[in-house]
Amino acid sequence: MSEAPILEVDRVTKTFGGLVAVNDVSMKIPRRMIFAVIGPNGAGKTTFFNLLTGIYKPDKGKIVFDGEEITGKDPAWIAARGMARTFQNIRLFGSMTALENVMVARHVHTKTSYADALLRTPRFHREEKRALERSMELLEYMQLAHRAQELAKNLPYGEQRRLEIARALALEPKLLLLDEPAAGMNPQETEDLQRRIVGIRDDLGVTILLIEHDMKLVMSISERIAVLDYGSKILEGTPEEVQNDPRVIEAYLGRGAAEEAS
Amino acid sequence: MKKLRENPALLSLVIAVAAIVASLWLLANPRSTIPFLLTLGSLLAALLQPIPKWLKVLIGGAILLLVIPAAGFKNSFLFELGIQTGIYAAMALGLNVVVGLAGLLDLGYAAFFAVGAYTWAIFGSPQANEFMPWKIFPLPGEYFYLFMLVAVVVAAITGVVIGSPALRLKGDYLAIVTLGLGEVVRVLANNLDQPINFTNGPQGITPIQRPPIDWFIGLLDKFGLQMSKAEAYPLYFYLLVLVIIGIVTLVNIRLDRSRFGRAWIAIREDETAARAMGIPLFPTKLIAFATGASFSGAMGALFAAKQLYVSPESFTLIQSIMILVMVILGGMGSIPGAILGAATVTILNVDLLKSASDYLNDLRNAGYTLNLGFFKYNFANLPNQLEPAKYERMVFGLIMILMMIYRPEGIIPERRHVLEMKKEES
Repeated sequence: MSEAPILEVDRVTKTFGGLVAVNDVSMKIPRRMIFAVIGPNGAGKTTFFNLLTGIYKPDKGKIVFDGEEITGKDPAWIAARGMARTFQNIRLFGSMTALENVMVARHVHTKTSYADALLRTPRFHREEKRALERSMELLEYMQLAHRAQELAKNLPYGEQRRLEIARALALEPKLLLLDEPAAGMNPQETEDLQRRIVGIRDDLGVTILLIEHDMKLVMSISERIAVLDYGSKILEGTPEEVQNDPRVIEAYLGRGAAEEAS
Repeated sequence: MKKLRENPALLSLVIAVAAIVASLWLLANPRSTIPFLLTLGSLLAALLQPIPKWLKVLIGGAILLLVIPAAGFKNSFLFELGIQTGIYAAMALGLNVVVGLAGLLDLGYAAFFAVGAYTWAIFGSPQANEFMPWKIFPLPGEYFYLFMLVAVVVAAITGVVIGSPALRLKGDYLAIVTLGLGEVVRVLANNLDQPINFTNGPQGITPIQRPPIDWFIGLLDKFGLQMSKAEAYPLYFYLLVLVIIGIVTLVNIRLDRSRFGRAWIAIREDETAARAMGIPLFPTKLIAFATGASFSGAMGALFAAKQLYVSPESFTLIQSIMILVMVILGGMGSIPGAILGAATVTILNVDLLKSASDYLNDLRNAGYTLNLGFFKYNFANLPNQLEPAKYERMVFGLIMILMMIYRPEGIIPERRHVLEMKKEES
């Protein structure tokens, strides 16, 4: 591959007290790929996401995003560089409307100064209009335009999940991290989500890094998969390679099951 | 009530008639409390109910610019009430940015009021001669307007200085630290009379220059109103406060409906998510804090000019808490709520509780006997301690408790909250 990867994680470790949540994990994520991180509950997947987005600072190791070292930087700074995420337990701004939620993420793309906002300068109106238009486009793209003026907390669950993705896309990210986007969805919703994720990559050219428990979803859309267990990366490969590896079965079901399977 | 809401024409008519009746009653009895409250009530109804905009402007303008000034000439206490309400309303609007929008609990807000007040008090009185080489003080009253802007800047800088350490903390910790730093400002004002006398310590500073109003008296004269300076000043300050409230409200609305307002609410709702969406936490909070501080600073300068006197006494923790009560009572994040909260608390404080005390005193002095047949009580036996004015804080505490139980979103909830409440009812 000629292009440099969008994200390079180099031997990152994070401990909480005596617990090693992420242990010496390295990963390279090529551009425009759909890359999944899987592993049993408590394997350190979400901690890994929090390290990438700057919510936690790694104890050891280095993270390079789009050619720039981001290790230990502020989450807002990293987000402004083009890394957006959704959350495992939905974290919308509940008492703002769906539209406002998306517009919040346009913050880094507007240069309106405090004085502009007070004096309502032409620049304010221009930028506000552009932010509004772009946010409506994204709501339409996620089929939420009809909900634009509703409060985020009043939306049904599936739409809240879609709104989180729309909000993340408003950052115009180069890399989109999705933390269990299919959690709590029924099979139809999951299928719909699957098409959307592929669509986002194809339409917008965004690289996607995905944590997911729904194996059907993971196996059908991921191009590469990394498996975490007890904080360590035990395997990385294509869906086929991962599916047939006894270590993965062992990690999920225990040693006995792995022996039976082989 | 329901029928009225469905018929806007009838609703408009009812409100207009109520406003006229209440206004006439107030003009006939400028000293009694009930017509005054009814007048304000009709004003409130006009502003909040869905009636045509021109009618709102007409009723609002007539009550604020004609009825209350006219009644105020017979009872200058109304001006005092209006000015105090206005000063607190502007501060409540400022605190609304900090607490209501950005969700930063600030218990030291009176400190910025003090900074603004002392900014004009020191230079608008001979006080500055104590430490400045040129003996040109007090500055003439014309400088007052300039110093309102200076007070805005100085208070904003103080906000940045206090906010820089404090805003690295969250929630309760932030509240305690702002409380402490707010007290520091008051203690400084109390003690900076030596080694160099900046603030004149506990004695306070007086007399403070007022803006000259000869032009205003001349203007009134042209309309056929002859007034002495003593009569014209309350009217002038009343009108000045109205103008400032207008400006402050406009600033508040414009910030609320910009990327800054959205960023503040996002931080209030979920800090982690806001950061992940590219909103830098500390600078955004600091802007909110400094904005709130600057509103308070401007009102401080006005307060100094109105009172002619400032001392550290006026800037205690209770002041900060009162302003916070106004914001919570009115509805956090709600602009009309902040103004209404300020009006409610101020009127309750300086008018209603005192009127109730006076009324009870009259009954006692007259030796009135309440006779319910089975229960007789002679008011002459009423102990002195039972005066409502002495229970000010208890009354506020009670109101806050009841509000938290029955209407935690405030009297006039933030607009977005209203949408959500309606949804839940259906």
